[in-house]
Amino acid sequence: MQPIATINLTTRETGQFSVPAEWERDYLGGASLAARLLYTSLTRDLEPLSPESPLLFLTGPLTGTAGPAVGRFVVCGKSPATGLWAESNCGGFWGPELRFAGFDGLWITGKAEGPVYLWINEGRLEVRDAAQIWGLDTYQAQAVLKNELNRPSARLAVIGPAGENGVLFAGIFCDHGRTAGRTGLGAVMGSKNLKAIAVEGGGKVPLADAEKYAPLRSAANRSLKADNMSKVFHDLGTAGGANFAEYLGALPAKYYHAGAFPNVDKVSGSSMAETILTGTSACHACVIACGRVVRLEDGEKRKGPEYETIVGFGPNLLNDNLPAIVRLGEICDRYGMDTISASNTLGLVFYLYEKGVITGKDTGFPLCWGDVAAAEKLLHLTARREGIGAYLAQGSRRFGAHFGAEDEAVQVNGLEVAYHDPRGVSGMALVYATGPRGACHNKSDYFLVDWGQADASLGLEYFDRQAGAEKAANVARHQDWRAVCDALVLCLFSNIPAEMVVDLTNAATGSNRTSEDLLRAGERAWNLKRVINHRLGLTRANDKLPKALLEPLSEGGAAGYVPPLEAMLAAYYAVRGWDPATGRPTRVKLESLGLGWAADDLDKGAGGQG
Amino acid sequence: MTTMFPSPEWLEKLDEKLNSDAQYARIARNWEGDMCVVIEPGGPLKEQLFYYLDLWHGKCRKTAVLKDLSEVKPAFVLKASYENIARIMKGELDPMQAMMTRKLQVQGSMAYMMRNVPTVLDFVRCCREITGEILK
Repeated sequence: MQPIATINLTTRETGQFSVPAEWERDYLGGASLAARLLYTSLTRDLEPLSPESPLLFLTGPLTGTAGPAVGRFVVCGKSPATGLWAESNCGGFWGPELRFAGFDGLWITGKAEGPVYLWINEGRLEVRDAAQIWGLDTYQAQAVLKNELNRPSARLAVIGPAGENGVLFAGIFCDHGRTAGRTGLGAVMGSKNLKAIAVEGGGKVPLADAEKYAPLRSAANRSLKADNMSKVFHDLGTAGGANFAEYLGALPAKYYHAGAFPNVDKVSGSSMAETILTGTSACHACVIACGRVVRLEDGEKRKGPEYETIVGFGPNLLNDNLPAIVRLGEICDRYGMDTISASNTLGLVFYLYEKGVITGKDTGFPLCWGDVAAAEKLLHLTARREGIGAYLAQGSRRFGAHFGAEDEAVQVNGLEVAYHDPRGVSGMALVYATGPRGACHNKSDYFLVDWGQADASLGLEYFDRQAGAEKAANVARHQDWRAVCDALVLCLFSNIPAEMVVDLTNAATGSNRTSEDLLRAGERAWNLKRVINHRLGLTRANDKLPKALLEPLSEGGAAGYVPPLEAMLAAYYAVRGWDPATGRPTRVKLESLGLGWAADDLDKGAGGQG
Repeated sequence: MTTMFPSPEWLEKLDEKLNSDAQYARIARNWEGDMCVVIEPGGPLKEQLFYYLDLWHGKCRKTAVLKDLSEVKPAFVLKASYENIARIMKGELDPMQAMMTRKLQVQGSMAYMMRNVPTVLDFVRCCREITGEILK
């Protein structure tokens, strides 16, 4: 591994350190290694928006190589939205550029006196004044900084006004709308008065065996390009499956209260491809190019939305106007807000308005489902924290609590549920309830396994999409594999056989692992994040689903079905080796993963340090 | 009545099934497009098979066993090994699972295909219901 650069923004002291070899071996990189590195820093009394709160950017051993789909990096810390473990990864080109600049990570602490940005170039790290870009949106800030640096090929990770204003679902943005969107790490960055991190490097990514790696990644890229799912993502974007998701009753509509959305085709990836799509965009070394480029009535080419944004600002709000969804997504991107949490929280506002819990006096204007103009107003208020936006900016759980309706918020542990309804794809019930960062669909995109992506090379079995406890072991195994992907940091769409991932990892790191070794590393990371969360206050009671997802829908492909969550959890704890009463990993389990020291900490109580 | 897969009689039987099945007629009512199922040799199957079907608004307008793909330009080509096709026909392999795990290759408009997954799934149901013995 290359060193990790460090900076304390309070003192402006910079440095670098090397990761211990055994940590690199046990955790690989990315989010898994971040969990080990941050373990002692993430304490229960740490205020996520305080100067002491760490913000760790990490790449993985495959990041920045020539494929397959390895352009990602991850940002980790303590979430201001959930108070728990935070991780959010991002595509584009920033992660590879950091490695080209000679660093595999960047560890930020402290708080600058005023707005600053970081400039990392040729192994050096500088702190520079950012007053001129404070307040600019994420696209403007990138353009101004590139111009100021006179480095058009520099890559930037920036926050928008939402991050500056402490919106709890503010993200960190790169390139043209690539986003580390979830868990509010943009607010952490903003709390440090850190507007941007510019990177440029001319080096090469170190590989243990470059000669061995080259033909492996060529074969992997060819395999990935030939995959049906890659064709769908390339041709249609991630919303290519919207029609099928709606057919299954897995596409949430009307804030998770309607089981069908008959106009789904108007907002599908297929329709986008046939109407407003003008091109595609790809991250570093990606043969898929799932990114959309669209053109609306104004003639300007812009980023097109992916599945989550489409469903969040579309069916979730009973809106079937695709261009309007594009614009709402762009507003979020420019302000620097996560579209899942933003649209989910807006859905709660519309829902509570319909129920009479909130009124026009609260919002300042009337609301009705499908009202795009009202949704746009609410987004502006949120980013600026004005009027009702001051509450919206805190996410759905706190918004609901403010109006006495916390149980109506469709979130888990403070993170808004993504747009894959567990009533249509039951594996997502466990995924949402046990995810280390809340109701996330990326720590296991198990909805695809429920569709059929049950890869035998990973030891996955295929269960009915509405099966119950019998799929618990499968979910756990898939979570472990995705923890591996988040460590490498490999795009979830890199749908190549597991053996190829193993071979690439071995060539990159000079190791001789098997797929079971990698899965064990994933399991280790999953358990370590669980321990971190217990130390931060998580209990068995946190493993839950919101009320709305435990009520049967009256129509659509999931009508009448509710996932048997408690039975699924019981089976899951047994498979995981977790105590069913506390939800904690048992000492036996932790010791089997080489985490006996973490078991000691749990025994000492949440305040223990490892 | 069921029949052996693969065989010309099986394809004829499928033609009859698709033109008489009410559920298929309803689900596939908007489908417009012909397809060729290419079965790669393996096991007891010694040569490639090309089964052509012209599917239109819930009906089957034509079926044919082709020598190769030079005779037609179908909207969709579905290609799989004999082993995997046989498993799909026996109900051992879900067609979506096959498509998502590289066991069934799809060529054609993904926009059209992804809009019409239920039609494809019901087409497979019809195939299964007329399949008796599997060539061994």
